[in-house]
Amino acid sequence: MFKRLDNAAPAAMVTIWLEGQPHSVPATLSAAAAVLWLVGATGYRDHAAGGHRAPLCMMGVCHDCLITIDGQPNRQGCLVPVAEGMRLERQRRPA
Amino acid sequence: MSDASTHHADVAIIGAGPAGMAAASRLAEAGQVPVVFDLAPSPGGQIYRQLTAPQLGEDVMGRDYLRGRRLLERFERARIDYRPGSRVWWAKREGQGTTLGVLADRRSESWQVRRLIIASGAMERGWPFPGWQLPGVMQAGAGQILLKQGALIPDVPPVLAGTGPLLYLLAWQYLRAGCPPRLILDAAPRSRYATMLRRPLSTWHGRHYLLKGLGMLTTLRRAGVKVVHGIEGLRAEGNPHLQAVHYRRAGRWQSVDASMLLTHFGVVPEPQLSRGLGLPFDWHPSQQAFVPHREEASLAAAPGIWLTGDGAGIGGALNAEREGHLAALSILAAKGEPVENERTPLVQARRRELSARALLEALFRVPDGWLAAQPETTLVCRCEAVSLGELDAAMAQGAAGPGQLKAFTRCGMGPCQGRLCGESVTRLLAGHLGTTMNAAGYYQVRPPLHSITLGELADSAAPPAP
Ligand code: FES
Repeated sequence: MFKRLDNAAPAAMVTIWLEGQPHSVPATLSAAAAVLWLVGATGYRDHAAGGHRAPLCMMGVCHDCLITIDGQPNRQGCLVPVAEGMRLERQRRPA
Repeated sequence: MSDASTHHADVAIIGAGPAGMAAASRLAEAGQVPVVFDLAPSPGGQIYRQLTAPQLGEDVMGRDYLRGRRLLERFERARIDYRPGSRVWWAKREGQGTTLGVLADRRSESWQVRRLIIASGAMERGWPFPGWQLPGVMQAGAGQILLKQGALIPDVPPVLAGTGPLLYLLAWQYLRAGCPPRLILDAAPRSRYATMLRRPLSTWHGRHYLLKGLGMLTTLRRAGVKVVHGIEGLRAEGNPHLQAVHYRRAGRWQSVDASMLLTHFGVVPEPQLSRGLGLPFDWHPSQQAFVPHREEASLAAAPGIWLTGDGAGIGGALNAEREGHLAALSILAAKGEPVENERTPLVQARRRELSARALLEALFRVPDGWLAAQPETTLVCRCEAVSLGELDAAMAQGAAGPGQLKAFTRCGMGPCQGRLCGESVTRLLAGHLGTTMNAAGYYQVRPPLHSITLGELADSAAPPAP
């Protein structure tokens, strides 16, 4: 869904874990941006009322980026910068 | 409330965008040490996000982004108690100042501040249309944040829709980045441009913006980007992800396949903090937004509280910088410093710049009748999934104010705390009751002003009691 431009300034990379899988991502990204870059918006979050949601605003307003970070559910992924060893779990209903 | 664990500051600034950075830098240069709370991990606000270590150069981002460097360097040089990653989740006017609850590193601290400069900026307007909750639909500002934060661009050409300068700026940036939009759907009719002829003075004052916009539009056209003007309706469709965008023009629906839709329907002041403090707001018919009251000369909204930047009314980044500067001068003047010579040119430049705003507002007006024309299944409140039809039914049953609509339907009770549905709810009530936006009213905003978990409160050193 999103790709990183080849001519981007080199960024330090950190390793984060998305549902148990390690990924190397630019340290400048927020947790929500990292997820969008790694796996796209599909499946980002299941809404309690049914249906799926994904980040809308990326600036702390909409709360559609809620995600489990290091075991804490419902964090605003767009406001939390990625960090080395960070564990992310998307909030999905069991299939 | 004040005890040993309460922190004290003479001046606190909320927000480190252009207004907050300008205010803080100027105060620091006069020997004050303001404390600056900001949500983001680095200074710049939305406009200069990631400019401390830019991911992309002027060739893609354009000149206005890099222009912020000077201000950023000044902010970084100054002696400021800068606290990134801080959420002011609680605020109350108390005695000679304001008490704040500030959450940082998952702990809450309470602060007693004598003078408060609010520079918390704007947000993109929540603008319902069918399917706006689908993954694959984002606000244009979000697209731009991804570009600034990580040089991320869509991997397939997106559809852009709405109205306003940001829509074309993003389109231009995507084009420069090698990913031109597939289609731009502009809600403004082409005839809108005649507005310029009717406002020659504004047009002259706004010529830099207009030429820039025209330049971008020409570049996009030359590159073969199709622009459709005068969109009357918009619909996003797909499961579980956006697959098609439908749009209505001249009464006829047309469709385009798309996996990404970026929308923009203008920016409005982010209201939580000012409203939470009980400051009065008025509907601004030209900005089409609720704007807080403040004194024109001092930018003060109440004793010891100044409102600056786009959070106090949309004026753009340069205006925000001037307002931050002016608020700092107003504080320095109260401390007996001579500031008049410094103030006058700022006030004049600000007035010139703002006289161009009316034209931009007229050019990029959002269609007032939009919401009422949406199908009843359209979600108005995304958080609690409340549809237009449910709100209509509640109004028919007698809900006559935003608070009652909230109680009837849960609209505005979710984690975004009504930020995205507040304007829509007022619009619906005003339409239903046949009254003005002011008379229809807005949600009562109460702390927490940010979503905050019980765990965060439990960890806190000194939780302020709301
Ligand atoms: S994406 Fe809107 S709050 Fe995070």
